[in-house]
Formats: sequence, structure tokens, C-alpha cells
Amino acid sequence: MIAVNYLAAAALFCLGLYTVLTRRNLIKMVMGLSLMETSTYLLFISMAYRSGSTAPVLLNPPKGQSPEQLAAGNVADPVLQNFCLTAIVIGVAVTAVFLSVVVRIAQHRRTLDADCIRELRG
Amino acid sequence: MTQAALGSLLPLAVAAPLAGAAVAPLVARLSPRLPLLTSLVTLLGSLGLLIAVAPSVFGGQVVVHYLGGWRPVRGSALGIAVAADPFGLTFALLSAGIGAVLVLYTLSELGGLGPRELGGYAALVQLLLAGLIGAALTADTVDLFVWFEVAALASYGLTGFFLERPPALEAAFKILVLTTIAGFCVFMGAGLLYNTHGALNYGQLAQDLTGPLQSADLLALGLLLAGFATKAGLVPFHGWLADAHTAAPGPVSALFSGLMVNLGIVGITRVALQIYPAADTPVLGVLMVVGVASALAGACLALVQDDLKRLLAYDTVSQVGVITVGLASAQPAGVAGAVYHLINHALFKSLLFLCAGAIVHRTGQTLLSQMGGLARTWPGLAVAFGVGVASIAGVPPFNGYVSLGLIHSGLTDSGQYVPYALLLAAQLITIAALSRAAWLAFLKPRAEDYEHRELLRPGMQVGVGILAASCVLFGVAPSYVLEHIADPAASALLQPAQYTTAILQGAGHVMQLRTEFDYADPAELAVALSSVVLGILLARRVLRHGPPRVTDLLRRAHNGSVNDYAAYAISGLIAVVATFML
Repeated sequence: MIAVNYLAAAALFCLGLYTVLTRRNLIKMVMGLSLMETSTYLLFISMAYRSGSTAPVLLNPPKGQSPEQLAAGNVADPVLQNFCLTAIVIGVAVTAVFLSVVVRIAQHRRTLDADCIRELRG
Repeated sequence: MTQAALGSLLPLAVAAPLAGAAVAPLVARLSPRLPLLTSLVTLLGSLGLLIAVAPSVFGGQVVVHYLGGWRPVRGSALGIAVAADPFGLTFALLSAGIGAVLVLYTLSELGGLGPRELGGYAALVQLLLAGLIGAALTADTVDLFVWFEVAALASYGLTGFFLERPPALEAAFKILVLTTIAGFCVFMGAGLLYNTHGALNYGQLAQDLTGPLQSADLLALGLLLAGFATKAGLVPFHGWLADAHTAAPGPVSALFSGLMVNLGIVGITRVALQIYPAADTPVLGVLMVVGVASALAGACLALVQDDLKRLLAYDTVSQVGVITVGLASAQPAGVAGAVYHLINHALFKSLLFLCAGAIVHRTGQTLLSQMGGLARTWPGLAVAFGVGVASIAGVPPFNGYVSLGLIHSGLTDSGQYVPYALLLAAQLITIAALSRAAWLAFLKPRAEDYEHRELLRPGMQVGVGILAASCVLFGVAPSYVLEHIADPAASALLQPAQYTTAILQGAGHVMQLRTEFDYADPAELAVALSSVVLGILLARRVLRHGPPRVTDLLRRAHNGSVNDYAAYAISGLIAVVATFML
């Protein structure tokens, strides 16, 4: 049942958002954002789903079928799956930058509490 | 050259800085300054390519190129379209041009850094500019998201460039959190649109999005607007902006404020005026409210800042609000004024940030209360800063006067007098904030002399000089700029059907609208001069009696907590989505 996927994506997104809004620990905030990111992957993969479809791979089709028949038939949407790949690559880069900033903050401030890192305000 | 040949130049304008970004860290091994010189070359090359396309585009042609020759089949496009319309091209030209000036400035200000730092810096700057140019020229929602993220990743690196400074790290974390959330919004919006319409191309989406919309479309509209508004630094999505500008080096603040926030404006414009215009949505009303709120809140916060760069950063929030109001008026004069103001803002805000950077670099002071007497120490810098302030204030011979006048007439043309009045109030407070800064930094006498004084180096002088001259130039030749830049841009924005058809057909023409600007209109002159006088009076009052109590409330809301800033942005997102869906 695909509706479960959508519910799970929404739940993951809200869980991540809750973490970002309420946790003051920087590492936990990064984890929350990662959760939100994962929920978008789940959402996209679920949107790409067609009932009873095959993978959108047109090379080496099963016996008796041509690639054209496969493409015209029931395959999952490759474009949305592609977005997921793009987003995963970007997500990895962002998480790496995130964690390196957090490590530097921890080295300088000896704390990870967002409430103690509020020099710039007003 | 034929249209197809011109179109094939467009991807090169993005590829040049991208290639430069890849090369920069490598050539740093040969000589520390080589990466910056490389970026100067790639940016000028990119500028040259864009200028080659410019006459045709500003003449009303939409130059389109489908990457890899994947042209649309029976009206549906799978390939990525790169399309230069006058609005996108204006922003791309600005990015390449001002980017080159900023690199030149950096070459003489930060040229003393080590090879590793300069290599990384040059790579990040070129990456950011490639992202901006790419976003300006693309006609594909997911491509727009990718350029958004490229620019975002580069901006994280540049914010935290001086990793040994704790405020830079704090600012980098804030910009990371808010921009990442914005990225999710844009990504989900683009995905939802694809899911319901099977289209990524602006042209195809605009043709599909007519009549009553499904709730998924409205959700996508809210998500896209909120995402781009975060990048643009509109209230309440602006938490990251002031911090990132304060912590970054001068040329980087100029890059962020003059160019990067405009990426958000480009996104908002594409979505609101070119993709969704045929559908009946309250999008212009939402933009009007957000724009007026930003203009007022930004100006009030700028009025009470003691840190010069922070003051300028909050003024950016205010100016972006003004641009948004112009776009939301959806009148030829208002939209042309918004495009004009976008150019002007890029020029005068880069100029002011470079001046601020020069002051911080030379005197080591960041706080206005500890500056003073700079007009006597550096008269040249004082003149440049004065030009910037006069431009923002809308004093007649300078460029701000024209664009503000156009936005005002756009509002009065459509009978929106309440936003007009609020915009005038914001303008008055802005003038007060900047004249207060000019007084405290340059004119107020200072008892003791500065410890180290050093004249501006040639590269810095040239950079500041070019920007100041452009501010005057764009102010004294309004009819030329209107006829050749702002009017064509407004025409493409206000006649979206012609632009979107051109994208799908691979070429096309946009009919030109004409707006008039009367330089000596007595009413507009009176408004400009009286707001300057009232603004200076307000600045005097603030200097003598302290800031009004409203600003305390605003300052307390900006408490520096990244959780709270994220909460503001999310509540803004919920409010925007709710307006569309209910």
C-alpha cells in the first residue's frame, strides 16, 4: 500500500522538523535536517511508483520484449528517481559541510548548545 | 549570428566560471594570486559571452538552447532548456560584471593570504557566480533547484571562510540550517509540480497551470515561494542574512548582498509571474504583504544597529522588500522599476559593503560608535560612501531616485495606496538609518587619530570607483536604461504567454511594452526631497534621544537562536501555504 509511504514520509519530515525546532544540540539539529532530507527521498520514490510497474531499465529487456515495448508499458518514473540521486549527492555534500562547521564550533567554544552560541543577535 | 549559434553560447557562460572553479585550487600551487587572476579571466569571458547575446535578447528575442539537443516533442520537453529572456539576462550580466569587479577588489585587499586560502576563495566565488548565472538563464524547475544548491554550498564556504573567527562559524551554521530547509522546500515544490503535470519546463508548466488548481499545485506554489524567499532574505525568512553578512569579509558581503539574494528574487519572479500567472491565485497579494513587511522591518532594524556591516545587511532586507513590492504591483511601471531597482541595489549595496570592508580592514573598527572623522582621513572613501547613501536615499541625480519613482508610480497606477504609504515610511526610516551611519562613521569628529592608516590600494580604488560611477550613470540615463534593459525585462515578465511559448518553440519574440519616466515630475521630486529631509530629522532624533521603542521589540525577536530563526521561517512557510490552500 503506497499511502503508507506518504504517511511515513510526512512523519519523518515532521520528526526532523520537530528536532530542528526544539533541540539545542547542534549535532541533533544536523540529524533532524538529515531526517527531513530522507523524508523527501521517500516521498519522491513513492511518487515515482506505479502499481505493478517494473524498474525503468531498458537495457537487456526480458525475452520476447523490446525496449520500446518496455518504455511504453508500465515502468516506474525514472525522472523522479533521478531527482533523488541528485538530492542524495547534494545532501552528502551539505552534511559534510555541516559537520565540519559543528566540529570547528566545538573546538572553539567547547560547547554544542545553540543557546550558548548567540553572539550575533539584535 | 543565428539564433541557434547565440543559444549555444549560453551554457558556455555558466561553464566558464565552473571550469575556473575547478582549476583555481590547482593553479594556486604556481602562484598565490593566480587563482584570482583566473577567476577574473573566466568572469570577463562569461561577461563577454553574455554581452554577445544581449543585443538580440534586449531587442525582444528569447534565445533558447536545449542541452544535448533534447528539444520538445509535441509540446512536452524532457531536455533541460536554457533560455535567455531580458530579465534573466540582466541578472546574469550583473552577476558576471559585478563579480569581476569584486574579484579585482579582493585581489588587492586579500591578496596577501596564502595559496590554499586564495585557491579555495577563488573556487568558491566562481562556484557561487556560476550558480547565479545558471539560475538566471535556466528554464527548468529542477535545474533551478540544482543551481540554487550550487550557490548555497558555495555561500556556506564563503560565510565560514575565516574559520578561526567564532562569529563566522556561528553565522555559517545559521545560513546552513535556514538555506537547507529552503532547499527542501524548493525541491519538494519542483517534485510535486512534476508529479502532477509531468513537466519541468517553465513553458510547459505555465501552459498546464490554468484555471482552478489542484491542492498539490497550491502546496507546490507555497513551498517554492517560501524557499526562494529564504534565499532572498524576506521577512520572516531572513534570520540568516544579517549574521552571514556581518561575519564574512567585505567583498563576500558585497557578493551576498548585491548578487546572491537576487537569486531568490529571480526564483520568486519566475514562479509568481511566469509559471503561475494564468492560474487564479492570491500570489501577488502574498508578495505585497511580505515585501512591505520586509521593507519596514529591515529599515527599523537597520536604524538601531551599531555594527556598520550589520546595518547594511538589514538594509538589504529592506531593499529586497522594495523590489518585491514593485514586482507584486504587476504594473508595467512597477515591474520595470523593480528590475531597475534590482540593478541599482546590486550596484549601491556592493559599493557600500566594499566601503565598509575597507574601513574594517584599515582601522580594525567594526562598530559605528568607535568610528568617526573618517571623512578627513579618507576623503575619497567618504565620497564613495556618500554616493551609495545618496543612491539608496533616492536623491535625484543618483540611480535610486529613478527606480523608486517607477515603483511608486506602479503602486499609484494600480490604486494601491496603503502599500505606497508604507513604502514611503520604510524609505524614510532607511534614509534615517544610512544618514546616521554616515554621520557616525565619517562626519562626527573623533578625538584621537586611528592607529594605522593606509591608503586604499589601486585595485580597491578601481573597484569602488567603477561601482560609484555606475551608480551615477544609471541615475542620469534613465531613458536609455528603461528602453534597453528594464522595459524589455518587464515585457517578458508581464506577458508570460509569449515567453513560455518561445521556450517551447525554441525561439520567439516578446512584444515590447513602454513605460515613461518623467525626471522632473514635481510630485515625485517633492516626495524624494521631503523624505530626505524627514529622514535626516529622524536620524537626529535617534542620535539624541535613542531609538523608538518599537525597534526594541524587533531586536528582542532577533535573539540569535538558530532554533527560533528556523521557527520563524517555518511559520512563514505555513502561513504562505495556508493562504493559498484555504
